[in-house]
Amino acid sequence: MTLLDFARGPGMQWSLIILIVGILWRVVGTLLLSAEKDYSQARQGGTGPGIRAVFRRFWPHPEFVKPTLFHMVGGYTLHIGLFVVIFLFAPHILWFADLLGLPVWANLPNNIIMLAGALTAASLVAFVLRRMTHPVMRRISGFDDYASNIVTLLPVVTGMLAFAHTPIARYETLLALHLLSVELLFVWIPLSKLAHALFFIPSRYQLGAAFGRRGVKV
Amino acid sequence: MTVEAERIDMFFEGIKKLPEMAQPVEMSDAERLHQVKTTFLAKLTRNMAVDLESCVHCGQCAEACHYYNATQDPKYTPIRKVELLKRVYQRELSPTRFLRRLWTRDITCDEIHEWIELVYDSCTECGRCFMVCPMGINIPAMVNVNRQAFANAGLIPVELRAMEQEQYAGNTLFGIGPEQTEAALRQIGEQMGVEVPINKEKADVLLLTSVVEVMVFTDQIASAIKVLNHLKLNWTLHMDGFEAANFGMLSGFEPLQKRAGDRVVKTAKKIGAKTILVPECGHAFPSLRWDQANVDEQSFPFEVLTMAELMARELRNGNLRVKPGVKGKSVTFHDPCKIGRHSGVFEEPRAMIKALGAEFREAESSQAVNWCCGGGAGVFLLNSAADLRQGAWQIKQAQIDATGADEVVLSCASCRLNFERGARNNHWDKPIDSLLSMVAENLDE
Repeated sequence: MTLLDFARGPGMQWSLIILIVGILWRVVGTLLLSAEKDYSQARQGGTGPGIRAVFRRFWPHPEFVKPTLFHMVGGYTLHIGLFVVIFLFAPHILWFADLLGLPVWANLPNNIIMLAGALTAASLVAFVLRRMTHPVMRRISGFDDYASNIVTLLPVVTGMLAFAHTPIARYETLLALHLLSVELLFVWIPLSKLAHALFFIPSRYQLGAAFGRRGVKV
Repeated sequence: MTVEAERIDMFFEGIKKLPEMAQPVEMSDAERLHQVKTTFLAKLTRNMAVDLESCVHCGQCAEACHYYNATQDPKYTPIRKVELLKRVYQRELSPTRFLRRLWTRDITCDEIHEWIELVYDSCTECGRCFMVCPMGINIPAMVNVNRQAFANAGLIPVELRAMEQEQYAGNTLFGIGPEQTEAALRQIGEQMGVEVPINKEKADVLLLTSVVEVMVFTDQIASAIKVLNHLKLNWTLHMDGFEAANFGMLSGFEPLQKRAGDRVVKTAKKIGAKTILVPECGHAFPSLRWDQANVDEQSFPFEVLTMAELMARELRNGNLRVKPGVKGKSVTFHDPCKIGRHSGVFEEPRAMIKALGAEFREAESSQAVNWCCGGGAGVFLLNSAADLRQGAWQIKQAQIDATGADEVVLSCASCRLNFERGARNNHWDKPIDSLLSMVAENLDE
């Protein structure tokens, strides 16, 4: 079995199993923890404010736009870039369609995908550098923070190298490295802070709901 | 020097002596560590777990924190203040704990001692950090769990411990208990020429007071009496449950939080009160309005209101009549964090100020994103927090000055004390007034 065979076969299968089981384990395990019942008299229901908070927090309160500009620009570049690269690149669409039994959907031209990939990689590098140099981020950062950045960066970089048929290695080797880095990401997501991709929804909701019932828009 | 200024000085002198009053809590370091961990594990709810799971360590919360802004010291980054709780969660409770233990250090006793400053001196649980957090993480709720854990480990700072021990043991604060409060109320009544309805067997409204009002801001008590009499309400101040201040909540010592809150709740039930009226006291309002029902695990048959809410409601109903006695003056309002951002009382104080004819000047960064004055959650008592408090005050003073208002109005006695202290330190001559007093002075009798 070649490296590419492994990456395409058992590597992919096991990493997907770990991703799905791990996410379910972590989300269900967290949600099964005891919840607080609120006996206080609410000013209003919390559901509406909770849902609104999920969407409102996609943009900072006007008070905080300026001090959080780096994170806003970097964050949106990173997340939009990842979305474009993962879901709108033709080979990825074929992979998803095959995996999930879905019809293929429209893709973006490759040069746009490459641009999105470059911007994504640049934003990830910028976040790592900021984490290493900004006093606040440096102080609160740990292994998970750096590892998550690097594990997210690897598939982007290896994917771009493979797409460009970079002559540093055979195409098959580059493709295998790309697939293995994706598999590493799949395994890392349920173990790390990358699970914020799921937890941000209940987190925002519960703050919006708790303070909404007190009559505070958060 | 005015009588009020003398009282303020005496109160600040009293604070300096608090460390002498605190009884030490003997406990080995191993036991303290055990207490902190077991409290964390007992108090970690689903909501907190979700919050901890969603944090990406972006550090944006620092930008919202008055103590970080004042010092630029990254150790005051709000999310870092709950780092010990997070590590215990990740190692002991998280669904992936068996793996996360590999790269998550256990907490140590040295760290617990280091964190006392972070969860007491440098956090007023003001909540400005959750306004900036892109994930909506409720950091103050977790800081409060830290305080509860530290209280169980006998690590409450001496000033708060002295107050907690006194209130728990004897229902007094600074030596002020039911007898002293009743005497003070009768004296205030005599000066006003009215009889204060103390200890009525039945009343619709149970008015509370606080030790800071009795010792320093007696104008707030007199004003409450005046307003309630103006409204012709059936009200009382009852010596079975009169104290709004809850040093159990502030220190994290839960048995006192329950005991102090229950004194008020039982009294309200006994006299058949439909309303508990909380004086101008920041932490007392959320303590009774939101927390006590959860401490007691029951809903209450009465409402809990701030004075500002009652006055604005009665103004709308036409029962409260005021004169435009502040016309020609520009006034700004400082939202107490626990009454504003934590409890949604924003419009009522503004409606009252405008009804008095003042030109209202809204400060930048006000209401839900208002800057804390730096003295909330018991920090105004901590001698060790003097520099941090003063740093935060600089931000507050600049914010008020930028409005160009002639006067600043408050509705929290702790904030008022902190404003007075900051004003003295900086020789700031801006008039500082209580909202309630301002209204009482302008009643249209």
